[in-house]
Amino acid sequence: MSSKTNNIQTEDAVLFREFEHTGDLGIELAAPTRAELFRRAAIALASLLVETANVTAIERREITVEGEADLDLMHNLLSELLALFTVEGFIWREASVIEAEQSLRITLRGEPFDPARHSFRGEIKAVTYHELMVENSPEGWRSRIIFDV
Amino acid sequence: MKLIKITDHLWEIPKTGSMLVPGRVYASAKMIEEMREDPALTQVANVACLPGIVGYSLAMPDIHWGYGFPIGGVAALDAHDGVISPGGVGYDINCGVRLVRTRLHFDSVKPRMEQLADALFAKIPAGLGSSGAIPGLSIEQLKEVVSEGARWALHNGYACERDLEHTEEGGRLAGAAPDRISARAYLRGLKQLGTLGSGNHFLEVSRIDEIYDSGLADALGLELGQVTMLIHSGSRGLGHQTCDDYLKLSVGAMARYKIILPDRQLAAVPISSPEGQAYLGAMAGAANFAWCNRQIMMHLAEQAFMEALSITPRELDFALVYDVCHNIAKFEEHSVEGRKRLVCVHRKGATRAFGPGHPALPEALRPLGQPVLIPGDMGRYSFVLMGLEAAMRETFGSSCHGAGRLMSRMKAKREGGGRDLRAELKALGVTVRAHSGAGIAEEMPYAYKDVAEVVEVMEAAGITRRVARLKPFAVVKG
Repeated sequence: MSSKTNNIQTEDAVLFREFEHTGDLGIELAAPTRAELFRRAAIALASLLVETANVTAIERREITVEGEADLDLMHNLLSELLALFTVEGFIWREASVIEAEQSLRITLRGEPFDPARHSFRGEIKAVTYHELMVENSPEGWRSRIIFDV
Repeated sequence: MKLIKITDHLWEIPKTGSMLVPGRVYASAKMIEEMREDPALTQVANVACLPGIVGYSLAMPDIHWGYGFPIGGVAALDAHDGVISPGGVGYDINCGVRLVRTRLHFDSVKPRMEQLADALFAKIPAGLGSSGAIPGLSIEQLKEVVSEGARWALHNGYACERDLEHTEEGGRLAGAAPDRISARAYLRGLKQLGTLGSGNHFLEVSRIDEIYDSGLADALGLELGQVTMLIHSGSRGLGHQTCDDYLKLSVGAMARYKIILPDRQLAAVPISSPEGQAYLGAMAGAANFAWCNRQIMMHLAEQAFMEALSITPRELDFALVYDVCHNIAKFEEHSVEGRKRLVCVHRKGATRAFGPGHPALPEALRPLGQPVLIPGDMGRYSFVLMGLEAAMRETFGSSCHGAGRLMSRMKAKREGGGRDLRAELKALGVTVRAHSGAGIAEEMPYAYKDVAEVVEVMEAAGITRRVARLKPFAVVKG
């Protein structure tokens, strides 16, 4: 894997916004670059699962995902991250992304989820394909993701 | 969306484009006006494009926008030529409801309802970062659960034989293939057996405040003032991951089978294909986990009742009325255009509602029909219905499953901003305990349709009959 690294620090509050979907949870993301879009998606997922203010960046995890199209990459990335939380109990507050055309490597910094210190916001069952969108527009990169909750 | 009125409670979406059959929606005139521009109706039309679909793509009155299938959708696919859609079952495989009756009268429980709510909250884990209800459970044991369903609970002291008789499929769907469930799915389910989950899952203690059919109520052992308990939960992480795994597999395999569908989330493969068969084996296993899950929670709840109220098992007389699933695909024989056909009925947010005399019903219930359990909105009321003969002719033996959302979770949270929701529920006579804070606002009664209107439509259409209404007074949320 080669090319660009992206670890721009941005306030979580402006990373994404929720949109209306009757039964589930939808978010919209925008970013100046493709790598930043994936990075913001990773941080967004963490903050949908847990109040990340109390999460400290003391441990590091690295995940590589592949996908033919950006849509698959987004789905696969978020599904892997959801498994990292649900299976291994790891929650993160920082991320950096190294991208390639059909894969990306994400490095996360966080710690084991501790219900006594981390406020759990609600279960996410899965990342759906429903109306999943990743696109590069003249204004930058955008994505819409619906989670089943 | 063009809709043709068939009766006062049934509307047809004509066959257009790549639809293979028309769509049919059960709804009152008022409901249909409200949902005319809802994307859920487009989803009913999309489901009608699935290869091998027979009859109609159906929607119940609690229909709302899902992903791929609408929530409240029913579709029957030919067992030989049809497809199976993991998204058409949903992430929460065998999400369902069980109703338990007690020998207690509300008047005797009312003074201790706070203690009862506390005991239930303490006893039944939500499964969020907790160690689960059965610490030390191994993957090997979990594979037994997947094979045996609620029968595993029986063998391990969490059930009695009568509980299994009063569970759809006896609490065990045949054909489970433990080796078709991924290692990740087992890991996600390992600490979650006997746990409630979050979202719209809940446990509700109610009193019966209305009887509509005294004969059927008597036969089910239900009477006015009686305390009952509903549990709404499913297959937890094991089911979510199983759906996710096979959805991905189906998306990749569709081109090979030349299946083209309007929505990726609908991804489907032929029932007879290796992928289809593998999914069916995994799905049955996840369904079995869910039955075992609800059975174990019932056992934990029984202990909570006894401890909080200082009563014996005999005084409590905890007895399962029935357990239904509302996210599943099952092979059933139905009459289609006058001909008996074996079909794979996908019910996504819809309940099986077999009429009297159906051979799949246990002997004790066969003359009556199948109980259909409809959880409400944790504030107003829930319902016990009974399947009628017309369900077999019109809806592949199916009915509604709940209130159906009216508001998005986001809007519900906005509505709840600055309001004391616990106090509002208290004013409705409901004491609530919740594992996650956001859950209450998202699941407040105002976020849902009035479930009474939903069950009235199904009764007016002759699909199910109301038997009793349950008024909640203590609710535990995940």
